Amino acid sequence: MADGTQILRRNRPGSKAKDFCRWPDQPFEEMDNTLAVQQLIQQTIRRDPSNLEAILKMPEAQEEGVWKYEHLRQFCMELNGLTVRLQSECKPNTCTQMTATEQWIFLCAAHKTPKECPAIDYTRHTLDGAACLLNSNKYFPSRVSIRDSSVGKLGSVCRRVYRIFSHAYFHHRAIFDAFEKETHLCKRFTYFVTKYSIISKEILILPKLDDEVPINQPVGESEA
Amino acid sequence: MDDSSVSHHNGGQVGSEIGVSVNNKQNEESSQSVQYSIPGILHFIQHEWARFELERSQWEVDRAEFEARIAFLQGERKGQENLKNDLVRRIKMLEYALKQERGKFHKLKYGVELQQGDMRPPPEEPPVEPDPAERAQWKQGRQLIKQYLQEIGYTDTILDIRSNRVRTLLGVNNEEQSEESNYRNCDKHHYSTNTALGRKMMMYDYGGKDQQCKGAVSGGYNEEGLSVQENAVFANFEFLANQEMDMDEIEDIDAKQAHHTQMKQGEEVDHEAEEVLNELNLLTETEADGGGQGDEYVVKFPSGSSTSGPAGEADEKPLALGELAQLTVSNEPEAYDVAGASKESFRKTWNPKYTLRSHFDGVRAVAFHPNEAALVTASEDHTLKLWNLQRTVPAKKSAGLDVEPLYTFRAHSGPVLCLAMGAPRSEECFSAGKDGTIRVWNLPSATADPYDPYDAAVQGPVLRDHTDAIWSLASSHGRLLSASADGTARLWSPRAPRPLLATLRDDTTAGDPAAADFADAATRAAVAYNDGTLLLYDLETAQVVLRVSCSSPTTRVRSHPTLPVLVTAHEDRHIRFWDAVSGRCAHAMVAHLDAVTGLALDPNGLFLLSGSHDCSVRLWNLDTKTCVQEITAHRKKFDEGILDVAFHPVRPYIASAGADGLAKVFV
Ligand SMILES: [Zn+2]
Ligand SMILES: [Zn+2]
Repeated sequence: MADGTQILRRNRPGSKAKDFCRWPDQPFEEMDNTLAVQQLIQQTIRRDPSNLEAILKMPEAQEEGVWKYEHLRQFCMELNGLTVRLQSECKPNTCTQMTATEQWIFLCAAHKTPKECPAIDYTRHTLDGAACLLNSNKYFPSRVSIRDSSVGKLGSVCRRVYRIFSHAYFHHRAIFDAFEKETHLCKRFTYFVTKYSIISKEILILPKLDDEVPINQPVGESEA
Repeated sequence: MDDSSVSHHNGGQVGSEIGVSVNNKQNEESSQSVQYSIPGILHFIQHEWARFELERSQWEVDRAEFEARIAFLQGERKGQENLKNDLVRRIKMLEYALKQERGKFHKLKYGVELQQGDMRPPPEEPPVEPDPAERAQWKQGRQLIKQYLQEIGYTDTILDIRSNRVRTLLGVNNEEQSEESNYRNCDKHHYSTNTALGRKMMMYDYGGKDQQCKGAVSGGYNEEGLSVQENAVFANFEFLANQEMDMDEIEDIDAKQAHHTQMKQGEEVDHEAEEVLNELNLLTETEADGGGQGDEYVVKFPSGSSTSGPAGEADEKPLALGELAQLTVSNEPEAYDVAGASKESFRKTWNPKYTLRSHFDGVRAVAFHPNEAALVTASEDHTLKLWNLQRTVPAKKSAGLDVEPLYTFRAHSGPVLCLAMGAPRSEECFSAGKDGTIRVWNLPSATADPYDPYDAAVQGPVLRDHTDAIWSLASSHGRLLSASADGTARLWSPRAPRPLLATLRDDTTAGDPAAADFADAATRAAVAYNDGTLLLYDLETAQVVLRVSCSSPTTRVRSHPTLPVLVTAHEDRHIRFWDAVSGRCAHAMVAHLDAVTGLALDPNGLFLLSGSHDCSVRLWNLDTKTCVQEITAHRKKFDEGILDVAFHPVRPYIASAGADGLAKVFV
């Protein structure tokens, strides 16, 4: 632990924004704490947010449930960024319903009886609900090992989260594009749900985004 | 405790309970009809049975807790009776002494015996011993329950937490042995520091007794310094108080103290009694002369040396703060009032009660509401969350209490690094972060539903003058102080049309501001830099009025609420105390095993809370500079552990925030 030349991966008060998390990568094998998977995912994203294959390359001997769970946490977290941008433009009086194409109106499942929430509320409620579920001591008491029954809960979160992307894409394209350019989040998410067959292909209604990485062989069992 | 994993066999839609079940027009997964099978039913029944057993055991524990409480209250009553008897006896003693004195005086003056009615010394009462049988019975009972609970798989941790709570109720300090003895040592000695802090301390350590102390202190308050009488009274109380700490070592206590043994909580002492006590000490000599129980009233004056306890380097300057303390005697009367209000909070051992889970990444800051049982957390996941501790979701099967956030604040475009509650306005809070903006928030009401429609009015003004990450916020008297990596600290009037009041910058300092706090009734600002410099700015002139430096980067600075003392936390594991007048380092101590990252002072300035990357929270007695309690609270993410700690201004809550994305509240 204390070997003199050791690197301390910390953000110290007073440091510049550009130095935030600017520390050398730590090999996954050397991460010995309970948040190792989150650390690895964030570290790989920081290195290059557009390198989807690297970001979604699961370490050997990693429990897949935890891997998917931590990625979904990261997606929901980064979606806060999209939501902040949407808040300024997606108003309840203009986007009265959660829609993508005109085909469906999505009901917000965060309420006792599903409600026709305006798009911005749908977005916020879905993320708040996801935060509750993914941090629930009942379903996800550990971040090292996750029961199969709880892994099954990730699918419905993913489906709803995808609607946030699709609403932004079809109704707030400028915001979507600017956000996507910075984060590659929707591309990464699409890659993720396809790779692990979490969402069936028919639901993925967004046209292929440029330079999207083709996926050859989906792995993992179907959860959708 | 492990939740049962079979709850989804209940046949109900578990998903809907947490609000994320699939319910939309696509309806990909229409619910299948439930098929009953014998094994399924058996499984269900088994599961239900286990659940009921668990609940039952929980009731048992609750009952034990209540029984403990009853016993505690009974003991308390006994103690109060004892105290009353004791006081009555003291009054009689005093009367007796007075009469003797008068007699002597009369005899000297007129040469004849004065005829006074009753000249017998008051009779001595037999000392009250604790009932050992009762104790044994108690232990046995608890042992039984413990065994039973273990059989049915109740985890040790919960038992420990519960027993801690029971012990807290019983007023027994359950620190580690070494710390406990430290604490005791200090208790026995710390009256020797004839300081304001020393006097205030007493109220805290001995919770229930503060009424007496308060009375006594305010009684002699107008006098400059401590008179001999006051000292005597305090010394008297000291050995009353020691009884309490030494409950388990009754045999060690000499005869003098024996008759106080069961005293736990003092009853309210009116002014008469208090005067009597004062006079009593005046007359100690007379009593000794007059025979009787003179011995009992010989007042032990504490020796002049102060021992600040074996707390590493704490011994360097044991009396340093004591000297400072005398500078602000005038501040104290207010402090006493507040102290009375929250006295209960510091007597006890803190135990974890709520775990706040909802953030997706490290929680950088935590701040309590000025008066409600509510708090706000700020996280690297770009959000802040508001929590109401009184709206808990009773977790269905587990013993803990789950709190769900009341509201999620989204506006920052990067990690939120710091947070301040509005003062004096309690319905607002401020946040700032890596994105260089300061956000003013209008807090939603404590009854808001997290799934209410979005109300843009929650977002107040945005202050954008900083050009780099903002690491610290402090709010006082309607003004806001920020410290940023752009090299400046700024003073704001957040809702004014031109909010920026002053920019505090010092070109000779190489580092960037890491933390800032108001000082000296918000007329000054203490700004700590990441090169170890600590500057005190006058807010009228924006000029530096005090400059101190130390070798290690500073992570936090707090100014003492009543004394001209600044406390800083450092990378080199130290906490340092600075005289805000002379700039002298009054005290420095190694406080943790790793960098100290969080600092909070209780509203009366008697206790200090610190957090560290070593994942522990420590509570310090500011007078003796000794650690009173240590709690290991969080897990590491990379090399970060705890990122912030907080005291509730008026309620008995403390909180910690960690890199693991959790915030914890202790009661
Ligand atoms: Zn919209
Ligand atoms: Zn909704």
